[in-house]
Amino acid sequence: MAHRPEFSAQTLAVLAELCATPSQWRHGYGIARDTGLKSGTLYPVLIRLADRGLVEACWEDEQPTGRPRRHLYRLTPEGLATATAALAQASPARPEPASTGARGARRVASGTAP
Amino acid sequence: MTWVTRVAAALLRGLARFWPDDRRGWLHALRAEAEEVPAGWHRLAWLAGGVQFTLREAALGRRLGYPLAFAAAVAGTAWSAWSGPAGDSAIVINRVDVITIAVILAGLPWAIRRARGPAARGRVARLVRAGGYAAILILVLVKAAVERVADAPPNNSQATPRAWIGEMVFLAVMAGYAALILACTSRRSPAVPVTVTIGTLTGVAIGFAAYALGPWGFPLRFTGPWPVHLYDAAIALGVLLGLCAPVAAGFAAARRSGGGQGAMAGLCTGAAAALMVAALSTATIALLPYDGGLRNWAAGHIGQWTPFVGQVTPVVGPRLGYVAGNSAFAAGYLLVLLLGPLLACGFGAWAGRVARHPDPSRARPGGAA
Repeated sequence: MAHRPEFSAQTLAVLAELCATPSQWRHGYGIARDTGLKSGTLYPVLIRLADRGLVEACWEDEQPTGRPRRHLYRLTPEGLATATAALAQASPARPEPASTGARGARRVASGTAP
Repeated sequence: MTWVTRVAAALLRGLARFWPDDRRGWLHALRAEAEEVPAGWHRLAWLAGGVQFTLREAALGRRLGYPLAFAAAVAGTAWSAWSGPAGDSAIVINRVDVITIAVILAGLPWAIRRARGPAARGRVARLVRAGGYAAILILVLVKAAVERVADAPPNNSQATPRAWIGEMVFLAVMAGYAALILACTSRRSPAVPVTVTIGTLTGVAIGFAAYALGPWGFPLRFTGPWPVHLYDAAIALGVLLGLCAPVAAGFAAARRSGGGQGAMAGLCTGAAAALMVAALSTATIALLPYDGGLRNWAAGHIGQWTPFVGQVTPVVGPRLGYVAGNSAFAAGYLLVLLLGPLLACGFGAWAGRVARHPDPSRARPGGAA
């Protein structure tokens, strides 16, 4: 029986995006823009990653003028380790994590949702 | 474009209420992020994706799916029961039935939640609730189908006080069944999950057996003629199973979870069996209204079983089958629905007292299913 990868291509794309700058907080639209994922795909992935403790989320501290506060995301230490391992496992089929978008992620063998 | 985007944002905001409280922050995040997305198609696509995923998650999370399924079931029942001339007393009774049952089934979960907590976690509680509600709605539906002709003029040109009293008793019994189903599947249920499982499964099986074999034995009678001894044997077997089932369920539940669970297992067995028999039998009458075998059988038996109701009313023409069926429902099944759970509860309590619980530490209070 073939081994089923732990993460889907879309999840790997999000992990790769967050893994590229692990200490930096990222916002949803930025991740969506860089990975090419739609909001209806990105947020379920983020929710499930957060449920597993791989991603931490918080709101912006200060209220910016002219727009609502944004929700920010980054990998937890466990998430970073898991993402590094998952990306290394998938690396034969995918390019550099930092430049990976949905288009790159689609080249990763399709798998299961997280 | 602007107004479409506004509508999508409003829709997203409205759908948030169907999400669990601890997850709504994600929807707020998605909406806040929309302000960053370039206006126009991009922003609309962002919000549309959010609406799509909100609906999907809400439906999967049962926050939206169950209310929608309940609303659809009630609407279907109402649509079926509503049809008929407004001046017909039977139609008036049917309409009152449907409205009252819808209010009872929609409002009771709120009341039971306050008394017994929310629904227990797990598949058993969900299945029992969904199945119980479906059985009640089916019973209301098929009863309406029977009464539409049975109580129509000239049989009953106007609703008699006795007919209304019967309806009120029926509605009160249905409310009791719904309350029992909800209470047994709540977090602070007096019955442990395994007791609910044992009782419900035994009750459904025995209800079907009682319907198929005896004392009702509809399929046997419709597929006859069979040798007389076969009818007698089937009725005897059905009665025997009906008596033994709550005892067996009470014994099994008491052995697993303590003597006190015997009564609850018996209650669940009796309630499930009575609901099953009433729904199946009334559905059969509704589907086979003019069957000669049913008519003759009902005319010969129902009156004897329930002499205080009186013999089946002789009516000229094809309505007789319906009238027989209606009498069968009103007299026989209402009694079964009333007394079945009580008798079974008594049998189960006795079995629970007789049974020796092997390990008291396994007994635990009710809760999650």
